[in-house]
Amino acid sequence: MAVTTAEAGPSVWPFVRLKLRMLVNGWRGRPARTALFVAGVVLAGFFAVAGYAIFAIPGVVGDERAASLLLQLGGSMLVFGWLIFPLLFFGVDESLDPSRFALLPLSRRTLIMGLFAAALTGLPALSTLAATAGMVSTVADLGGAAAAFVQFVGIVGGVLICVAVSRAVTSAFATGLRSRRSRDLAVVLFAVVAALLGPLQLALLAGAERADWPAFAAIADVLGWTPLGAPWSLGLDVVAGRLWAVPLKLLIIVVTLVGLLRWWSATLERAMLGAASNGSSRATGNAGSPTGLLLGRRLPRSRFGALVARETRYWWRETRRRASLITFSVAGLFLPVSISLSGGAAGPMAVFVGALAAVALANQFGYEGNAYAANVAAGVPGRVEVHSRAAAHAVFVLPLLLLVALVVGVVSGRPERIAGDLGLLLATYGAGLGLVLPVSVRGAYSLPESTSPFALSSGGGLAKGFLTLGVMLGTLVATVPLQILAWVLGSVWLWIGLPVGAAFGCAAYLIGSQVAGDWLDKRAPEVLVAVTAGR
Amino acid sequence: MTVPVQREGDQIPAMALRGLVKRFDTKLAVSGVSLDVPAGSFYGLLGPNGAGKTTTLSMAVGLLRPDAGHAFLLGYDVWADPSAAKARLGVLPDGVRLFDRLTGPELLAYHGLLRGMDATTVDQRARELLDVLELGAGNRTLVVDYSAGMRKKIGLACALLHAPRLLVLDEPFEAVDPVSAARIRDILQRYVAGGGTVIFSSHVMEVVERLCSHVAILSDGVLRLHGTLGAVRGDRSLEEVFVQVVGGRVSTGSELAWL
Ligand SMILES: Nc1ncnc2c1ncn2[C@@H]1O[C@H](COP(=O)(O)OP(=O)(O)O)[C@@H](O)[C@H]1O
Ligand SMILES: [Mg+2]
Repeated sequence: MAVTTAEAGPSVWPFVRLKLRMLVNGWRGRPARTALFVAGVVLAGFFAVAGYAIFAIPGVVGDERAASLLLQLGGSMLVFGWLIFPLLFFGVDESLDPSRFALLPLSRRTLIMGLFAAALTGLPALSTLAATAGMVSTVADLGGAAAAFVQFVGIVGGVLICVAVSRAVTSAFATGLRSRRSRDLAVVLFAVVAALLGPLQLALLAGAERADWPAFAAIADVLGWTPLGAPWSLGLDVVAGRLWAVPLKLLIIVVTLVGLLRWWSATLERAMLGAASNGSSRATGNAGSPTGLLLGRRLPRSRFGALVARETRYWWRETRRRASLITFSVAGLFLPVSISLSGGAAGPMAVFVGALAAVALANQFGYEGNAYAANVAAGVPGRVEVHSRAAAHAVFVLPLLLLVALVVGVVSGRPERIAGDLGLLLATYGAGLGLVLPVSVRGAYSLPESTSPFALSSGGGLAKGFLTLGVMLGTLVATVPLQILAWVLGSVWLWIGLPVGAAFGCAAYLIGSQVAGDWLDKRAPEVLVAVTAGR
Repeated sequence: MTVPVQREGDQIPAMALRGLVKRFDTKLAVSGVSLDVPAGSFYGLLGPNGAGKTTTLSMAVGLLRPDAGHAFLLGYDVWADPSAAKARLGVLPDGVRLFDRLTGPELLAYHGLLRGMDATTVDQRARELLDVLELGAGNRTLVVDYSAGMRKKIGLACALLHAPRLLVLDEPFEAVDPVSAARIRDILQRYVAGGGTVIFSSHVMEVVERLCSHVAILSDGVLRLHGTLGAVRGDRSLEEVFVQVVGGRVSTGSELAWL
């Protein structure tokens, strides 16, 4: 690490200054951006303080074994986090986008060093350093000043590795995902993985219950000899008297850093050379009339039919929407099944699954950005717009709800409940729609015009996300009477559950969609402005 | 204001703007634009980048609510009676995405059906447009994978599909190759000859000078000059007039002497 800064010399400063200038500009922007910036500072500060406190505890307690466990495992998790985080928030921090430097006469080494320095100049790196400073405190408590100094060198190396790994992985990802098709695929894959995280976590927890501490300690010590854990265990080795380990681990750190920077540099070059345009246009067979292509066989040849057809296409072809469908399918099936396996009641899960389905529409106008202008320019009436969007969503969701009811009935060994459960599911889906449709008109916000995968909404989205939460809660409240009814009626509900639930859902949907349609008639241009990205 | 006051003949301007104002945060993007676009004219809206052309046209077609002022299309008030005004209008907005996860033919079918046309007419016209604009009637590529020029062309096709009486086109020639541009010019000229009205924005003088019967020059959100091409141009070139009106600097010869 010392090597890198020394070699780069003064030429990294322009990059650092540029980064700082951009930080300041971001902070001087509109109130929303300022708020976001402040929120970032608060979050980083919180992370730093909490991290410091946690890492400093073993020292205060004076427990060497706990220190070894916590520092190596915790440190490894930090590196892992830095590896994963940019993939989650891919495209959010393009503060210094390498392709912008493509035309400047910079040597690759200068560019890498500059970008690396700029990446280090930021809240995340700073707060990581502050958090891991807790490790220095622990080592100082355990082994005195000399050990603490070695640990300090270690954490600096560790932070450098964190930043380098995150930059290198991002860059590799960006070059790997140049074509839209591979990006779309990645988003979908990622959705599947994310959706499986819940089940995975439960499995891990179950494993942890059985695991013993010596096993963890062994894992920690092994990690200490990998790039993930080496930087964080330098001082511990001094404390334990394993002085010979220090130069070896330093070597691991330096080799890792150099390797990462090399890799980054290689992918960066490919990124800057630009996409090889593999514009293989698809087959141009003469397959039917344009309206036939759009509508298929069954949809009516009308405005409503066209709107529904376009929406269903978008639920399938637009990656964010497809990802949300996949997440919903996995969560919608996994949750109720796991609950009924453990003998829980199906009622609450029905509320949850139905509401979860509906909230996918909370920002339905934001999905395709200002393409919505076409509908505004054509003067589509609000109610037609709202009904068509709900219908297209239902095309995907209703079969899933049926599947959930079937699977739960079978898994819990009570097939007689299927109809009643389906009734509850329909009721909550309808109530959820009734709430979410007006919200989607009032609370529309712009998503980033995503050319990069995993792009999340950066500004304002968070506050609007609370609206989604509100819708979930509202749906819970709205369907409480029905839940109580189902519970009180007991076996009678098995018979009347489906029609009553469906009627309840329909009524709620109709009310909500009328309100939403009327609002949309008055506010279509405002919705358009709200979903327009940028500015 | 559902029925316009007088509807016979060409008395009613195809587009009439009255004191349109739009402010973004602190910037006054359009300050009080009033303009009459006579029916049957080929109207060019000229202005440097950031002059407010897109903002003005967006307010005129009902996509952006003005802070003040009125817009009438073929006599119908856009903001009081939007459906009547929009039904007779074709728009090619600038800087607006298309529903680009559809293929070209699907997108055209979508627009046609949105406008309430029957399916057979949509199919026939869509095929013809795809053919004439060389987008390929059987092309199954998603619009998101089109080039910028192809996107302009499919957008234009969407605006033309329902044979509107008024076409509002924002930068229709941007990023379009010369061959396609010539074809688009040809289509638009025939459209105007057939009684339609076109208003389009541009910052390219040659196109405007070649096509337009009327021009208006906008800069800094203010309408500086408008009228028939002849009246605006006088005996100078349109470019000279434009640079003078917009207040561009004229080279003195002493600056950049080192170059
Ligand atoms: N949504 C917006 N938010 C803030 N400023 C805007 C917005 N849209 C346009 N502007 C500003 O208004 C001015 C006029 O923009 P525009 O109408 O797009 O110009 P033109 O189309 O003539 O190039 C520009 O200075 C632009 O920066
Ligand atoms: Mg413009």
